Amino acid sequence: MMTPKERLKMILEGQQADRPACICPGGMMNMVTSELMDRVKVYMPEAHTDARQMAELAKSVYEEGCFENYGVPFCMTVEAEEMGAKVDMGTNVYEPHVTGYVIDSVSEYKKLRAVDVTCGRAKVVLDAIRILREETKDVPIVGNLTGPVSTASSVMEPVVFYKELRKKNQEAHEYMEFITEQLIRFGRAQIEAGADLIAVSDPSGTGEILGPKYFKEFAVTYINRLLDALQEEKMGTIVHICGQMSPVYQEVNEVHSSALSFDSVVPMKEAREHLKDRVLMGNVSTYALEFGDPDRVKMLTRSCIKSGSDIVSPACGLGMKSPLRNVQSILEGIVSADSEK
Amino acid sequence: MEEDDVAEAAQEYLDGGYSAFDGIMEGLVDGMNRASRLYEEEEYFVTDVLLCSDAMYAGLDILRPHLPEVSNDDKVTGVIGVVEGDTHDIGKNLVKIMLETAGFNMIDLGRDVPLTKFVETAKEENADFVCMSTLMTTTMGGMKTVIGLLEEAGLRDKVKVMIGGGPISQKYADKIGADGYSQNAVEAVKLAKRLLNIA
Repeated sequence: MMTPKERLKMILEGQQADRPACICPGGMMNMVTSELMDRVKVYMPEAHTDARQMAELAKSVYEEGCFENYGVPFCMTVEAEEMGAKVDMGTNVYEPHVTGYVIDSVSEYKKLRAVDVTCGRAKVVLDAIRILREETKDVPIVGNLTGPVSTASSVMEPVVFYKELRKKNQEAHEYMEFITEQLIRFGRAQIEAGADLIAVSDPSGTGEILGPKYFKEFAVTYINRLLDALQEEKMGTIVHICGQMSPVYQEVNEVHSSALSFDSVVPMKEAREHLKDRVLMGNVSTYALEFGDPDRVKMLTRSCIKSGSDIVSPACGLGMKSPLRNVQSILEGIVSADSEK
Repeated sequence: MEEDDVAEAAQEYLDGGYSAFDGIMEGLVDGMNRASRLYEEEEYFVTDVLLCSDAMYAGLDILRPHLPEVSNDDKVTGVIGVVEGDTHDIGKNLVKIMLETAGFNMIDLGRDVPLTKFVETAKEENADFVCMSTLMTTTMGGMKTVIGLLEEAGLRDKVKVMIGGGPISQKYADKIGADGYSQNAVEAVKLAKRLLNIA
């Protein structure tokens, strides 16, 4: 049998593996639940700031039969915090979130601190990846980055940011270049520390918010610049974009990632029709994972596979109260669908 | 840019001796309604609507002082905010803009709003409805808590509850006992009007 790492590698390269992979990357795509934390007695928010606890919680995701990967961090605030944003670390049920911005306009970006990967929570994440590399094998380690538009709108007021894409277009591009450089530095450091692949989530850079023109001009351009600057020898990259894809399928197809992931508003069948040659990841409803039962989750899992998903995953971050039995049912659903063949 | 043009046009309009009320209804609100129609048709996107709303508010700032005094008591009042634990408020801002355009008196609590604040404000302001949004699955549960708190405060019969946001669905609204769910800002206006029996 293939190891989870071999399987995911083949799939990301566009080859046929023995069965679909089952992962949940981390970052925005939260895979930690209250029940899981109780099992391993490692808790948030402490796990956001301590490399050992972060690594142990990441390990438990695979060890408890949820997903076939490790992934860190468990939030999307590390980059913004390192650039100077004030972050509330949240609680055992709330994710960390930005509570204080650094700048008032894109033109003030020179006031931002460059991301220093040798200190702060950037270092915590890298140390956690090093621990995972030392202590595990055969299971892919996913390093997570917040996408360029989402990072850019985490250190300043998003409404102002969106308006300035048009009103201060040139300066907005300079700002995005700065932001992207910071993400490249953090992403390359994650790979050097031992991440096998990088997942980028850009929930604030959607086609619905930006429209096709700005989606291409800002989201796609800078995501690609980031992806192109990461080390090539690694397993690959995943990009998750939220919201409807119908206005922007053409633009999404230009994203240079190995795999594309969507949330549950995008029917997998529709995505497959529009993106015939792409590796697709997704998209079991997180609502069903939290409020449904194992049979329903298995049914949705099979339907994802049938509709053309290569990597089955939750459609979004998991709700903290999702029962472990439901979460485990995605992988069980894949394995049982495979044995019926 | 646009808002300066609108402010200038509004001033010229006033100087010409025309009625501020007509200027708002037939100029600014009509323009914003057209923008929301284009948004519905996927010609306009969120960024466009935000720029249009800036222009509308710039015009309102000029025209509003020239309106005859109307007390807010006559208006239908709504409380709106992003629930505790979440700071994503683009969607909430759009809904607020569209509801204000439609004539509702909106009290904006902002984002990361403590759950009790929704109830306290609804009570103080004698609100007719409460709108809550979140983009995160981890914070959805707060909406249910607010509905429970409204019940405890004896307000649930008087206050309609509308919810929305990325992970929210009609199913979720039904599950937690909200009165309605809307997928976007334009739908939110239709929903509010339906729930409150406003033509």
